[in-house]
Amino acid sequence: MTHAAVVVERLEKTLGTNKVLRGVSFEAQAGEIFGLLGPNGAGKTTTLRIICTLLAPDAGNVGVLGFDTRTAPEEVRRRIGVVTADIGVYPRLSARENVEYFARLCGLLDGDLVRRVDGVIERLDMGSFAKQRAESLSSGQKQKVAIARAIVHDPDVLMFDEPTSNLDVLASKEVREFMVEAKGRGKCVIFSTHVMHDAERLCDRMTILHEGLVVASGSTEEVRGEGRDLESAFLALVEAQ
Amino acid sequence: MKGSTWIVLRKELKEVLRDRRTLMAIALAALATPLILFVVSEVSTQTATQTYTVGYSGDIPTGLDILLRATALKLESVADPAAAARQQVDLGIAFLPGEIDEYYDPTRQSAQIADIRLQTILGQYDAAQAAAALKDRGIDPGILTPLKLVPHPLSSPVQAASNAFLSFFLPYILITMILTGGFSAALDSSAGERERRTLESLLLTPAPRSRLLLGKIAAITIVSLSAAVVAIGSMFVALTQLSLPGAGGNSVHITLSPAAVPVMVGLAVLIAFSFSAVTLALGTLAKSFRQGQAYVTPLYFITILPASIILFIPDFNPNLAYYLIPILNAVLVLRDAIVHNSVSWPALTVTTISLLATGALSWLAALRLFTREALLTK
Repeated sequence: MTHAAVVVERLEKTLGTNKVLRGVSFEAQAGEIFGLLGPNGAGKTTTLRIICTLLAPDAGNVGVLGFDTRTAPEEVRRRIGVVTADIGVYPRLSARENVEYFARLCGLLDGDLVRRVDGVIERLDMGSFAKQRAESLSSGQKQKVAIARAIVHDPDVLMFDEPTSNLDVLASKEVREFMVEAKGRGKCVIFSTHVMHDAERLCDRMTILHEGLVVASGSTEEVRGEGRDLESAFLALVEAQ
Repeated sequence: MKGSTWIVLRKELKEVLRDRRTLMAIALAALATPLILFVVSEVSTQTATQTYTVGYSGDIPTGLDILLRATALKLESVADPAAAARQQVDLGIAFLPGEIDEYYDPTRQSAQIADIRLQTILGQYDAAQAAAALKDRGIDPGILTPLKLVPHPLSSPVQAASNAFLSFFLPYILITMILTGGFSAALDSSAGERERRTLESLLLTPAPRSRLLLGKIAAITIVSLSAAVVAIGSMFVALTQLSLPGAGGNSVHITLSPAAVPVMVGLAVLIAFSFSAVTLALGTLAKSFRQGQAYVTPLYFITILPASIILFIPDFNPNLAYYLIPILNAVLVLRDAIVHNSVSWPALTVTTISLLATGALSWLAALRLFTREALLTK
């Protein structure tokens, strides 16, 4: 077992009057796809937002590659890339300019910047639309821009929050393939989804959240159990709460 | 990450240059001011040379008809001057033995102007008649003016008229254009980020949020100043081609006093910075561009009000405490620089501190709003 890339300990968070997280803990390793599963409102997105320092926890701790999210948020953000379902891009910038903007904000400079941007454009097969303004791109192309800007600084931790929920079959397949490729390159991939089929195929280990609590945790086989598919196991766990 | 502000500034300006809304606002600024000036010039000239009709009854005293026609008052014989003055003519007069009855409707501007011209002409006519009568009797008409007034204006009356015009028009244009020029860019940079869901990605970068915000404010400030420069530049180009009718039938060419130029530039930068921070803070409260418009539009009326004070109270000379009020202070300092070609340093210092404090407080408010969790969770 390698050192955990992301360590989440007894996380608690209340938004408004809603207690969204009630002591969530898990660890995700480098070189694996870690699933964060649960129905809508389970607390998946809130957990990811705390890990990437957008929200502060009310209680508990999060460490990313040894950096605490409270004391070193900028170091944490330097080491993570996040892809969400909400594909927000700057419409009046080209696909390439969108990626370059985030690369610069991540501290990449001239020669390194061009090399990295060229690299992600080639890797995600964006060459045909790299110079097009983002406002004219399809959803799949925009999602590639979103992935490109999340990985252009080559982060060691990648987080995908329902990344395929607005995409067609082909674009979804490409995103899944990208996650597998990232895992192969030793990245820690955290995949938040409520699509059990995707989770079963992709994840090495997972945690299932329900109403802010961890209801199961372990390898995919352990969570699924003998002779069941993941969806049946998931439904059984959730209904038992 | 020292370059984060510069990176954001460059990107925001690039987007602005590709944004039709902002470009149209700046283009409008360039076209609107000369157009307004052209209309003002035309209307003023037309009013000054306009012929008004005077309906009269009775016998016109000898020579008076010539004087009236010379001041563009056209005489028209009517049966009932009072009835005619209601609709048919601008002014009605009845020549009676020893008096002239005048009928006019004060709600009509043409009647007011015709009345002023008639009063002036009658004054001159009376003086000439009195002088002639005295002369006939061998008396020096000079006894009518025992204290003769000899005016010695200390500055050019033409320049004074020019300054008076600029003192209310220039602050108004400056403030309006700074606010409206950066309006769209500010909302696009704040509410727009939330609406198109790019804010989360931006906040996920390691760049300090204060620097991100500073880059945005700098970009909006530049856009606002550009709009103001375009508007004022086009205004002065237009003024070289236009003139306004002045006293005694002279044409007034508008020129700016030398002291006003650096004061205007300095104030424009301070106002643009303050406005940028305020509009960005308000825009950050909004979830969409449209909602942002609803938040920022009242700001326009709040800020334009002080500029209007000069319009309604041209001789408004407040104490130093008034210079703490943002925008009003800028308008007053600029007015003094234009009218008197001088700068009151205490007033300018208080104004600068006030505008800087407004900008800094707004920047802090914007930063607080920009970093609150509700920005992403609501």
